[in-house]
Amino acid sequence: MYGKGLRALSITTALIMTGAFALAFFWAPEDADQGFSQKIFYVHVPMAIVALCGFVAGAGMAVMHLWKRDSRWDMRSYVAIHLSIILGVGVLVTGSIWARVSWGHWWVWNEPTLVSFLIIFLLYCTYQPLRFSIADPERQARYASVFAIVAGAFVPLNFMAVRLAQQYTHPRVLGNISGNLPGRMEWAFLACLLGMTLLFVTLWKYEMTSKHASSQLRRLKRLLGEDGQAKGRRTAAPATREAATPV
Amino acid sequence: MPAIPLHTAVSYVAGAYLVFFALILVYVAIMATKLTRIETELSELTDLAIADRAERDPPKVTAAAAAAEAGGLSGDQPKTGALAG
Repeated sequence: MYGKGLRALSITTALIMTGAFALAFFWAPEDADQGFSQKIFYVHVPMAIVALCGFVAGAGMAVMHLWKRDSRWDMRSYVAIHLSIILGVGVLVTGSIWARVSWGHWWVWNEPTLVSFLIIFLLYCTYQPLRFSIADPERQARYASVFAIVAGAFVPLNFMAVRLAQQYTHPRVLGNISGNLPGRMEWAFLACLLGMTLLFVTLWKYEMTSKHASSQLRRLKRLLGEDGQAKGRRTAAPATREAATPV
Repeated sequence: MPAIPLHTAVSYVAGAYLVFFALILVYVAIMATKLTRIETELSELTDLAIADRAERDPPKVTAAAAAAEAGGLSGDQPKTGALAG
C-alpha cells in the first residue's frame, strides 16, 4: 500500500517547501556578486541534486529488481527515473534562465556542469523509448534495469569528472573551491533541499499509488472476465507481478 | 561580475520559479487525469459486478408478492374482516 501516510507527507512537503522558499526570499541575504538573481539558486540547485539522486536511486532499485526478480522493484525504479526526468527538465530550464542573467547567454557549451547534465538528461530520455521498444514485459523489465544500473553508475562518475575538471565557471555550492555558502544562505539552501527531497518522495508515492491502483484494476478486470483490450496493448510502464499473474 | 539591476532580475527569478510550479502543476494535472480514468474504470467494473450478481442470484419472489399478484391484496394490508370484527 503506497498511499499509506500520503496525506501527512503531502502536508509536510507543502509546509516545508513554503517555509524553505520563504527563508530563501526573506531571510537569506542577497548575494553581493549576483544580487537578486541568485535566488534562482534555491530552486535550481536542489532540483538538480534531487534529480541526480533520483537517477541513482532508480539504479539501486533496478539492482534490487535483478536481484530479487520482483517486478515491484522495476516499477519503483521506473517511477524514480520518470520523476527525475521531469525534474531534469526543470533543472535545464531554470539553469538556462540563471545562465542568461549571470553570463548573458541562455546556454554555454564550454561549461562542463551544464553540458554534463544535458548528457545525463539525454541519456535518460532514451529510457522510455527503450522500454516501449520491447513488447515482452519480462524482457522489458530486465533490459530497463540493466540500463538504469549502467546509467545510474554514470551519474556519480560524471559528477566527479566535472569536479576534477579545471574550468570552474559554474559556481560551486557544496564544493571545495571558494563556493561555500555563508550561514543564512546555507540554512535556506538546506531547507530548500529538504523540501525538494520531500517533494520527490511525495510525488513518487503518488505515482506508485496510482500505478498500483491501475494494476489492481487490471487484475480485477481479468477476474471479472473483462480483459479485452488492456491485455495486448504495448506500454513503456512496467506491469507488477499481481497484474501480470494470469487468473 | 556586477549584480544586474533588480527590476531585470525579478522577472528572471519569477520566470524560474514559475517554471518549477508549472512543472508541478502539469504533473498534478496528469495525475488527476489518471485518477479520473481509474475512477471511471472502477465504476464500470462495479456496474459489471452488480449485473453479474443479479444474473447469478435473481431476486426471489416472496409469498406475499405472489399473493398480491394473484389476488390483488398485499400481505401487509389489514384484512377487511378483521377490521370489522
